[in-house]
Amino acid sequence: MTAPTPVILTEMELDALTELVNLGVSNAAHSLRELVREEILLSVPKVTVVSREEAIKNLGERDAKRLVAVHQDFEGDIAGRALLIFPETKSLELVRAIVGSDLSLDEIVELEQEALAETGNIILNACLATMANNLGRTLKISLPEVLHGAGREFFYVKPPPFVDDNVLFSFINFSVRQRNITGYIAMLLDLPSLATLKNLLTELIERTSQTAAVPPNDN
Amino acid sequence: MTTDERIDQKQVLDAVNGGLILFDLERRVVGWNAWMDTASGHSEAEARGKLLSEIFPGADLKRLVFAIQAALTSRSSTILTHALNPALLPLKTRSQRPLLHDITVSAVGTPPIKQCLVFVNDVTMATRRERYLRDRQNARYDAVVANAPDLIITVDRDGLVQFANPAALSQLGRAGGTLIGVAAKDLFQTKDQWHSVLQSAFNNSSAGHPIDLIAQRPDGTPSHLEASASLWASGANNFVTVILRDVNERRAISEALRKSETDARDAAVALSELNQTLEQRVEERTARMMQMEEELRQSQKMEAIGQLTGGIAHDFNNLLQGITGSLDLVKKRAMQGRFNEIDRFISGAMASANRASALTHRLLAFSRRQPLAPKPLEVNPLLTSMEELLRRTLGERVVFEMVTAGGLWLTKCDPNQLENAVLNLVINARDAMPDGGKLTVETGNSHLDNTYSTVHPEIEPGQYVCISVTDTGSGMSAATIEKAFEPFFTTKPIGTGTGLGLSMIYGFAKQSGGHAKIYSELGQGTTVKLYLPRFRGKIEQDELIPDLSEIYNAHTNETVLVVEDEFVVRELIVEVLKELGYSTLEADDGSAALKILDSKQRIDLVISDIGLPGLNGRQIIDAARETRPSLKVLFMTGYAENAAIAAGFLEPGMAMITKPFAMDALATRIRDMLGK
Repeated sequence: MTAPTPVILTEMELDALTELVNLGVSNAAHSLRELVREEILLSVPKVTVVSREEAIKNLGERDAKRLVAVHQDFEGDIAGRALLIFPETKSLELVRAIVGSDLSLDEIVELEQEALAETGNIILNACLATMANNLGRTLKISLPEVLHGAGREFFYVKPPPFVDDNVLFSFINFSVRQRNITGYIAMLLDLPSLATLKNLLTELIERTSQTAAVPPNDN
Repeated sequence: MTTDERIDQKQVLDAVNGGLILFDLERRVVGWNAWMDTASGHSEAEARGKLLSEIFPGADLKRLVFAIQAALTSRSSTILTHALNPALLPLKTRSQRPLLHDITVSAVGTPPIKQCLVFVNDVTMATRRERYLRDRQNARYDAVVANAPDLIITVDRDGLVQFANPAALSQLGRAGGTLIGVAAKDLFQTKDQWHSVLQSAFNNSSAGHPIDLIAQRPDGTPSHLEASASLWASGANNFVTVILRDVNERRAISEALRKSETDARDAAVALSELNQTLEQRVEERTARMMQMEEELRQSQKMEAIGQLTGGIAHDFNNLLQGITGSLDLVKKRAMQGRFNEIDRFISGAMASANRASALTHRLLAFSRRQPLAPKPLEVNPLLTSMEELLRRTLGERVVFEMVTAGGLWLTKCDPNQLENAVLNLVINARDAMPDGGKLTVETGNSHLDNTYSTVHPEIEPGQYVCISVTDTGSGMSAATIEKAFEPFFTTKPIGTGTGLGLSMIYGFAKQSGGHAKIYSELGQGTTVKLYLPRFRGKIEQDELIPDLSEIYNAHTNETVLVVEDEFVVRELIVEVLKELGYSTLEADDGSAALKILDSKQRIDLVISDIGLPGLNGRQIIDAARETRPSLKVLFMTGYAENAAIAAGFLEPGMAMITKPFAMDALATRIRDMLGK
């Protein structure tokens, strides 16, 4: 263990967090279903907390694989940046899955940026809002931006990061129109935000164990 | 906020090239800039205080309203793009065309949030420009790709099909009619080759030549394709477009060609083997078969001519000459009163007439319309009796020798036929020796063994009596020998021979169960051998050539009825009967005959022609036998076919004689029937 001391989330807290993110993506899936009028399933198997470098490594830095990311900043009691990341090669497939196969390749390419931005926006908004609501806080969430590049670039976007930033990191699975597309969902948090998140999760777990249920949106 | 400031703010908002709408917590419009007036056709005054659904009734506003709510409650910012939301707000450009737009929704200010801003961004021009550029760029490409007979597919980095032209779709398209998003490797049976095509292309190291692939059609059948792949990029995305040429037809043709070449080679090998093993045997067989074929052809020709005979033979002229010449001399001698010399010439004329009769028998026998009358025969006495005749025929320039073997076997054949055969052979021999020579008639016993019959399959091996006639004449070539037995083949000038001679001899030998053979050499002479089968039995009775001087006399009062429509023939028969001492009655047709037969008149025998006008001979006798059941009848017929028919229905007391007949023969038959 080296200083600064990392904030460790307990298994229970990670489970609770995973549950919140799943709740969020399931809301997002609902929105997407209404948008594309197709059955869409979204799931997040397990959220882990990793360092920035580990996250970059997880994205396959060594392969120098080209990635595409939709990112949104958020601020409030917790501040940071949420990213939905896909291998660049999957992005067209994702767009194709969302908009259907009626469109030509050219049209898909033309729509790719907007469609990715909006799809990422729906998913990230849903995750962040659901988390914030359940944690009894509000977050100011920015509009999305689409980035192309290597994983490292995504995690070093200005404002300049802190050395001890942590990443809530998970796979996210899309299932739509017989296609299964796997991407990543990541939340870059500074140390105070992670500490706050840990506290909020603790409170949530206590509340839940008292009422034996996740409370409704009371904001 | 002062009025001036608000006016300033309003002026700023109206100057923005994009739509701005401000909502309160109840999601009612509290702000609406000039751009919105133009695009929506609604003024700020109309919009203020209203919900979006009231301003744009019928529009699908669900997501937009949700985004506004989310901004107000959780401060989230939302983007709604024309890409995923083709019909957001019913907005129009200044030229009243559909206005393509993206919308962003954001919360305004800090918590507690009281307002939310919706920004409408016009992307019509940007989108149109992109499409225009793309269309212009793609028009030619599309024209080629859409109409290409080749299958063209574009795959992405993951090997998923992103584009397929109509040819690809029609050949490889699955149910549902799409290939987009399908893993391209699933389309191919040769997955390794496909993988290598794709990898080379993505590594930008093309093979430089087409790669053969086997695709799988939707029905499961294989399709042979030739793949050329190339890499291209769209922004950050790499694609490989693969052109697949249909080579099924070419393959089918080349395979058919290869197969036919193989077949031909195999056949050639098989043939050469067959040749090596069979060549010798085939040669042997061929030689043997050719000989047998000759034999067969020969006998077939003999069969065919069997139905053609009945014409006049060259020999007939000679005989008539003998008759008329003799009669001429009889007349002269009678006029001169030298009656003691007449008898000789009458005998000569009779002999010629008898031979003429025998000739017609011979022709009919040859044509198989008259059965032969074979009987056990001693050949030597028959030939000896002919010796005088033969010598006369040959003349003085030919030395004649007859060599008859002692202990000669009996044979069985028609004596008249044999006599004629020998006569013909002698005449032929004489004609072959116009300047004289030697002629030998020889008899002998002959044993034809299996070897002989193998070469001449129509001959039964066994014992034969052989009669050979040899001359020292001009001889015959092999080709002539081959044709010598053919009917109408003759070496004699036209008019001097019919060509029937040798073929009739051949026919006689065959019918008698024997064989005829010619041995000849040009300039040396000819030997013709007749083989007649040995008869193991006894001579039934001595029936040699009838003796014309023998007279049969009638018993007392015996009466014969002659029924014959031909006056001359009837008179002749009646004359003979009278000379023999019979009483005679005559009838020239059936009704006349029946009148006599119905009377009480004694009738010991009826001699009746078969062919009569009205009732035929048979019908007359059938009627007469009603009252005279034991009436004896001798039918006469001029045609052998009637004889054959009559033979089947001859009842006891009936007999048959064929015309022409010698008077002695008639007398013999009559005596036979009436009992001596």
